[in-house]
Amino acid sequence: MTALISSTGFISTLILFALGAIGSLLAMKSDRISGAIGTTAALLGSVLALTIGSGALISHTPIALQLNSTLPLLSFSFGIDALSAFFVTIIALIATIASLYAFGYIKHFTPAYRLGRLGFFYNIFIASMLLVVTAQNIVAFLIAWELMSLSTYFLVIYEYREQTNIKAGTRYFIMMHVSFAFIMLAMLLLYRATGTLGFANMAPALTTASPLMLGAILLCALVGFGIKAGIIPLHIWLPDAHPAAPSHVSALMSGVMIKTGIYMMIRIFFIIMPTPPLWFGLAVLTIAIISSILGVLYALSEHDIKRLLAYHSIENIGIILLGVGSALIFLSLGLPALAQIALIAGLFHTLNHAIFKALLFLSAGSVVSQKHTRDMEHYGGLIKYMPVTAVSFLVGAMAISALPPLNGFVSEWLTFQSLFAGIIHGNSMTLSIAFTLAVGGLALTSGLAAACFVKAFGVIFLARPRSEEISHAHEMPLSSQLSMLILAALTLIVAVQSSFIVHTLASITGTFSAFSNTASAFSSQPFTITLGAGSAISMTMVALTLILAILLALWIVSLIGGRRRVEVGTTWDCGTPLSPRMEITAFGFAHSIITVMRGIMRPTRQSSVEYQDANIRYFPAEHSIHFFTHDFATTHLYRPLDRTLARASQIIGRIQNGSVNAYVLYMFMTLLALFVVISLGII
Amino acid sequence: MTELPIILAGIAFMTIVLIQIARKSMLVVELFVVQSAAVIALLAWSSRDHATLTLVATILAIVAVKLFVAPFFLKRLIATHASRFSSSTYLSGPNTLIVLALIIALSSSYLFKPLAVIAPGAQTLLFLSIASLFCALFIVINRQGALSQMIGILSMENSIVMMALAAGLEQSPALQLGITFDLLLWVCVAYIFLSLLYRQFGSLDVTQLRRLKD
Repeated sequence: MTALISSTGFISTLILFALGAIGSLLAMKSDRISGAIGTTAALLGSVLALTIGSGALISHTPIALQLNSTLPLLSFSFGIDALSAFFVTIIALIATIASLYAFGYIKHFTPAYRLGRLGFFYNIFIASMLLVVTAQNIVAFLIAWELMSLSTYFLVIYEYREQTNIKAGTRYFIMMHVSFAFIMLAMLLLYRATGTLGFANMAPALTTASPLMLGAILLCALVGFGIKAGIIPLHIWLPDAHPAAPSHVSALMSGVMIKTGIYMMIRIFFIIMPTPPLWFGLAVLTIAIISSILGVLYALSEHDIKRLLAYHSIENIGIILLGVGSALIFLSLGLPALAQIALIAGLFHTLNHAIFKALLFLSAGSVVSQKHTRDMEHYGGLIKYMPVTAVSFLVGAMAISALPPLNGFVSEWLTFQSLFAGIIHGNSMTLSIAFTLAVGGLALTSGLAAACFVKAFGVIFLARPRSEEISHAHEMPLSSQLSMLILAALTLIVAVQSSFIVHTLASITGTFSAFSNTASAFSSQPFTITLGAGSAISMTMVALTLILAILLALWIVSLIGGRRRVEVGTTWDCGTPLSPRMEITAFGFAHSIITVMRGIMRPTRQSSVEYQDANIRYFPAEHSIHFFTHDFATTHLYRPLDRTLARASQIIGRIQNGSVNAYVLYMFMTLLALFVVISLGII
Repeated sequence: MTELPIILAGIAFMTIVLIQIARKSMLVVELFVVQSAAVIALLAWSSRDHATLTLVATILAIVAVKLFVAPFFLKRLIATHASRFSSSTYLSGPNTLIVLALIIALSSSYLFKPLAVIAPGAQTLLFLSIASLFCALFIVINRQGALSQMIGILSMENSIVMMALAAGLEQSPALQLGITFDLLLWVCVAYIFLSLLYRQFGSLDVTQLRRLKD
């Protein structure tokens, strides 16, 4: 075991993924063999990575791997410190379960799509995520980051015959490279300010950097990593790309890939950079509030189950950033103990979101694989045919809605605690307003998330099937069911063990330079999270109380109604047969909330009527209403930007007129311009 | 005797200026031969103190390529396809001369003063080379005929050689032989390419080569 937690163990993990990728490609002609190779290697590699990550985390054993070269730009260093170990554990945990799920799930892609290609990019994807969170210098990080973006691009367009997937992939590709440009800029600025490529040596050199330089690095990092994390308004790739990928990949993309953005934000903001300015913390908090509220509102208006989940990822990234933003503000106010609580809340929610979002995506994948449509309106009554999936989805829905005794509740409770502390300790009106809005926003988000999942669960699993095909639906193979059940169990286990997790997170954050001299804000009592200010919660007690309350309720019900005879009869249907048309739709459920929020969501409505006889318009045959909500970022930011760029491109396009003479003239003018610049001493 | 390099560079420069206004194709090729001869003489003069057999062989190779092979291919191209040297330019005659004057003035202006440090003892030669280089570049920009552009590029190469000599950047004979071989290959490829272009489009005027034919 100890031998595994070493650089040799880490290299072995990477070799397993490499073998999986190459093996899948070589066995491309046989889907059965390539699928088995790709998935088995991914599973074994993930299990090994999980052992290394969790082992390093618990035993506090850092791992270092140095690949030196005579050229500094070709020297790569990887390492697992406390923060990396935490993210390696999350990535490996979700990758293990997603790979287990894939055994039964990927078969439905054949023979339309080759499993060899899926196995190749899937293994590279997991390996690149592990490399991203373990890279310890700029070059290694940038290469791993780009590898992660490219492999996911090919996974997004895996079902390449679907035009929507190609469109989603293109959008993802463009946004990832805009993100890469900002990240590269942040890294170059870091290098310029510190003169070193290694992350570990940057912090001391940055203490003398100018505020302008620090501000530029922070902003570039926020935009670059914010695009990957999917913060609003930089999220436009996310609702398209996540649903397009196969479900076990969506689970990884939504559950962990977007967290690599959060990982780098934490590394830069809390480990590399000195104390950030107050304005920056406020900016992060504002983005967090907007992302969480708008994310859940857009989710509420969605009919596409995977897009709905993708929008919830934006919401949850907002919740994580509420913790990160609060921590930044507390640090700039000189309150490191509160900052540590807020950051732990963010990190805890990162873990929780990875678990319940993976669970929801895997459950959604099971549902979608039955009818090959993502539109919720086509399902209904699935609980009868897919009970394991239904229970798993319900647990995931409860966890994401922050209902006790599941894990989402604990991290949101911690986030609330830090936001309340912000209201108390905020030393200005602006801060008090910001924290109050954040508390209100988080409460609203939780409520709307619950409403959204009542809609999703009700429409998909309850009532009557909306089509004949639903009655032929069946559960996924055992491996897929098992993976969902493991995740469902984890939502409860993590909640019950929240005290242990919080203390582990406290020891991780304790290694950050920002908190090196801070006394732990948590008192060490088993099964209880006790904050220094006096707030405490015992999730074990909450879980036990709830179980007892449920048992008591059942007992009372059996006491009262146990002796009554139950007669099952046909529902009175006004003389007409019951049909799916009588059921409430997802649109119908969300309509009232969207109407209340119309100021923000700007819904548009299009109704059409078809008559029995077009000439005599008295007897309508069908009356349909289409309801649209438009993403404000698309309509107000990206479309105008697109139009401006198209116009600018047309103007610039005139330069490229196909004349060699003109091109030589441009070179000549550039040469002259350079001489002018040098003569005037500008450079 | 010390004025000889400047006189030779001046001859090369003048031929480039004359190429801009020349109308007949054969005259342009002959002007290029004169220009190349002047540059080769300059090269020979600069290596007079440390002449070796290899250096002499190199100079002879350059003579062969620039004074015989390249003109041979150019003249053959004109004779085979009866293509006249396209005298059409984007700018009219007077405007061409005005731009030339501006380029020459610019080349001697303070803008290029930072370059003087690379040839402190041969500034006149250096600025003549820069003026030649820009004028040769202007041939490529202003002329519409592909043949003129080819000669423009060859003249640029000659100007670069002059500039290197002025800056004392003479390279080893082996490298110079390599460059000459490169030039020889380029002339051959350009000859074949222009022949194919003429066969396809019936013209070597670049404004006529708008669309590729099947």
